Amino acid sequence: MSALARLDFDGVAGGYGDADVVRGVSGAVAAGETLCVVGRNGVGKSTLLKLLFGELACRAGSVRFEGREVAALDASARRALGIGYCPQERPVFDDLSVRDNLTLMRADRSVDAFAPLFRRFPVLGRRLAQHAGTLSGGEKKMLSFARGHAEALPLWLLDEPSEGVQWENIVQMAELVDEAKAAGRALVVVEQNLAFAERIADRYLVIDQGRVVLEGRAGTIDRVRLLAHLHV
Amino acid sequence: MRANGAATALRVGAAALALTALPLLVGDFWAYQLGLFYLYAIAALGVGVCWGRAGFLPLGQGLFFGLAAYLSGLALIAFEQRPGWLLLMLPLAVCVPGALAFAIGVLVFRRRGESGPYFSMITLALALLAFQVANNWESVTGGFNGLKGIPGLPGLDSYAAAYAVAAAALVAAALLVAWLYRAPLGVLWAALAQNERRVVMFGFDSNRLKAVAFAASGALAGIGGALYAPQQGLVTPQLVGFALSADLVIWAAVGGRGSLLGPALGAIAIGVLSGELRDRFPYWEIVLAIVFIAVVLFAPEGLAGAIAPLARWRRRRQAQADSPAIAAPPRADAGRAARLELDGVDVRIGEVTILDRLALSFDRPAIYCVIGPNGAGKTSTFNVITGELAAQAGSVRFDSRAIESLPAHRVVRLGIGRKFQIPSVFPALSVADHLAIALWSARARPLDLLRPSLRRWSSPLLDALRARYPFLADGTRTAAALSHGERQILELAMALLGEPRLLLLDEPCAGLSPQETAAVIDVIRWVRTQHGATIVVIEHDMALVRTLADHVFVLHNGKVLAEGTVAAIQADPAVQAIYVGAAK
Amino acid sequence: MDPASFVAPALNALFGIASLAIVALGLAVVLGLLGVLNLAHGELVMVGAYCAYVAQSQGWPYLAAVPLALALCALLGWSVERWLVRPLYQRPFDTLVLTWGLSLLLRKSAEAIFGLGYKSLTEPIGGTLEVLGTSYPRYRLLLIATAAVVLGALFAWYRRSRTGTRIQAMVGNPDLARALGLPVRRYASATFVAGTCLAGLAGVLIAPLVPVQPFMGLDYILMSFFVLVVGGLGSLAGLSTGSALIGGVNSAVSALSDSTGGYLSVLVIAILFLWLRPRGIHAR
Repeated sequence: MSALARLDFDGVAGGYGDADVVRGVSGAVAAGETLCVVGRNGVGKSTLLKLLFGELACRAGSVRFEGREVAALDASARRALGIGYCPQERPVFDDLSVRDNLTLMRADRSVDAFAPLFRRFPVLGRRLAQHAGTLSGGEKKMLSFARGHAEALPLWLLDEPSEGVQWENIVQMAELVDEAKAAGRALVVVEQNLAFAERIADRYLVIDQGRVVLEGRAGTIDRVRLLAHLHV
Repeated sequence: MRANGAATALRVGAAALALTALPLLVGDFWAYQLGLFYLYAIAALGVGVCWGRAGFLPLGQGLFFGLAAYLSGLALIAFEQRPGWLLLMLPLAVCVPGALAFAIGVLVFRRRGESGPYFSMITLALALLAFQVANNWESVTGGFNGLKGIPGLPGLDSYAAAYAVAAAALVAAALLVAWLYRAPLGVLWAALAQNERRVVMFGFDSNRLKAVAFAASGALAGIGGALYAPQQGLVTPQLVGFALSADLVIWAAVGGRGSLLGPALGAIAIGVLSGELRDRFPYWEIVLAIVFIAVVLFAPEGLAGAIAPLARWRRRRQAQADSPAIAAPPRADAGRAARLELDGVDVRIGEVTILDRLALSFDRPAIYCVIGPNGAGKTSTFNVITGELAAQAGSVRFDSRAIESLPAHRVVRLGIGRKFQIPSVFPALSVADHLAIALWSARARPLDLLRPSLRRWSSPLLDALRARYPFLADGTRTAAALSHGERQILELAMALLGEPRLLLLDEPCAGLSPQETAAVIDVIRWVRTQHGATIVVIEHDMALVRTLADHVFVLHNGKVLAEGTVAAIQADPAVQAIYVGAAK
Repeated sequence: MDPASFVAPALNALFGIASLAIVALGLAVVLGLLGVLNLAHGELVMVGAYCAYVAQSQGWPYLAAVPLALALCALLGWSVERWLVRPLYQRPFDTLVLTWGLSLLLRKSAEAIFGLGYKSLTEPIGGTLEVLGTSYPRYRLLLIATAAVVLGALFAWYRRSRTGTRIQAMVGNPDLARALGLPVRRYASATFVAGTCLAGLAGVLIAPLVPVQPFMGLDYILMSFFVLVVGGLGSLAGLSTGSALIGGVNSAVSALSDSTGGYLSVLVIAILFLWLRPRGIHAR
């Protein structure tokens, strides 16, 4: 990978307990690019993201962020370096209002900076005072996405951002991803929804049984083989 | 196990010898003083049973000690001239605390997992309450000054005799606890301290087991208390209250709560030391508190661990090698085909719907696979079947019998077995113990749990599994020492050994190598044909599903989206859509 | 009947509830927010009470006890969280045992320093006040008022302030909080210290009204625990309801029979809740 790589991971392995769900996965993503990680359920996509973010410790392999080795750092340290994460499960703070979810770690509670996001996702702007726990699954994902987008961190990891989201809003998400890429951010997106993945991916990493079975640039990858790995 | 039993008896015998020799060394009077601590040691053994084995912390054992002491004292005073009555009353003084402890255990241990802190707090509160009662109820207990003028046991007037009684009681109590630890009951206690959910999944009522452990500790404290009254001649409210309760926990910890004699060693060594140093050295109790914290943090083996680590290991290896196996009795309902039906099952947690009027039917012996995206409700379905997750609506019928409101251990006893997704075993128990527990499941009657010979149970299926998986034959390794793959297979073997008619396997091949996976598929098929069981497998790996499944259910959003043969669901566009994601 | 004759019992009941609530508050923070049952909670109240005794016996103004108690309890709280709780977040049972050991240590230390006997403090503000036609001790009124203000202010702060919101986030979803860059370790430590300081403060408040002796903490941890499990963890409503129910039952039964009966009835209620509603009345 070129020297511009934002994230570079090599032979990453790890899992829960002492079971290895991810068994030696390598990949890279440069600034301004999106790497889409796809595969069926249970193959280790979410686990891979957790290993990259530091929520799980790597049993093997290296993870380099902007050239710097981070595999030994925990999640807080990696966040401080500029890696953002939107998890798949429990993506928002259910007990807090939508406004608080968006502004928790910001300087104040003002949502002025979010105006463009509210134009794309009006439901969020309407429900600022509501508890996030009362939102639907898709709305929570939109909230999580908006929060991650506003964080504007150099590396952004997303786990199934489109899960439960309606198509109109998925299109908005795709456009926001383009904005993020244009701003120079690198994204790693785990996705189950191939139509969304096809809109945003610059590179693909196809996982099966914890290993990479197919990878390549979006234009050159064999779509038929890709589908075969996703189908039941 | 005979060798192990002999070794334990030898250990206790050696200790008994030492106890007998003591008066010759220090004189009758000092031996008599020491005898008091033997009585405390018996109560400390009880703390070891609860805390060291069964994994819960009783903070009020003084209640049982003192209660027995008052009962015994009152009986001795009342029946001083009629020793025949005493023969009845004194054992009663031991049984009443035991029964009370059992009642409290049954009352407090009701829900799994949340009872630990509640239990400790309630035992503490009961001890404080008992202190108040003993203080205030002057007419019976003598109030603050206590019950005075209690005569000694009839015929035992000398210091030497009193000492002999205390020593004999301690030896008897130690043998009793040794027997309990060797019996299946003791193994189950240790198991439930490490993984309560797994014990329940073998059909054992974990709450009842804990109550029995607490009852044993109450009875042990009762023995000590009942002998305390004639030995000291005086019973005060201090016995019932907090101070003795706290001391018993400290002694058990410092002595080594996990071992058999550790708590007794702690009571005697630290008790005597405290007695000497407490008045001379004002900061002794502070030092003891620090030692307690340090022992719990850094050296949970305590004094006993410091003394005899090697001997125990050597003994265990020998014991396993030369115990002949006993054939386990067959299951009562073996061979009957299982039928399971879920109908209209609704499970909601807060705003989230987990299962949405789910309807599933497993009506003939076959291998069923349940697949579906994350969050589809697959594991929740298993949890509803085994009774661990309550449904808000709908019914679950096993062999036409409604089981949705049965507690988990009763459901398992009906013939359902389960293997969890992440290997769920008992890290500190040996492989042999794991397999034995599986065999006891649904075969051992309650009183059987007191017979140590059950640890040698074996069955033809066990022999066959040992032949397929040689590591299972090495019974002495602990589960913590096994690799992940071996642990998966151990748990699978345990699930199979129960010979359930319906077997629920949650991702049985997760984390296994291709060879291990092939071996597991082999075993599953073999069990299916040999024992006619119905097997339901949750799987993500489509290759496995293709190899194994007779029938597939696809779950999505808590409902069945499609079902049929593997080929049928592969051709179904709705199924493909949820895996690939609909474009519109 | 003369309405004035209801005032004193009503104020007594209010006083009982307020005392329970202010003592349980520290445990409500630690158990309700961090899920840690700190068995040394009662002993931290005891530490506060002894600080008040020291202040009074040295002739200092009563308020001097406050910084002393806060400093001691903050130090104890920080140490406990750092060494006995944080390494063992996955093993709450071990934390239970260790905090019990700590309670022992604190008790024995108090015994060694001050002796076993009861210490009696004089009320810093003596005399009575006319309330609705009845004379009522001023210090008790002060305690009621202080408890109300502290509880009200604390909960308002928790709901409204930025830090309070962040603590709520951390408590509700610690993994996500970490992902947002919230320094979870620091916040957990600070929350724990806040809980122990509140316990010390409660001790300073109640010291003039109870016999101060090394074993006083036992009653407080038990009562605080029962208040929380009956009322429910994690809310002001839970703390108030629990205090009202436990305090009310204890007073009523004690008035009818004796204090032993009151204690017993509290135990019975606790066991009933364990069966029927283990999360308490205001379950989170």
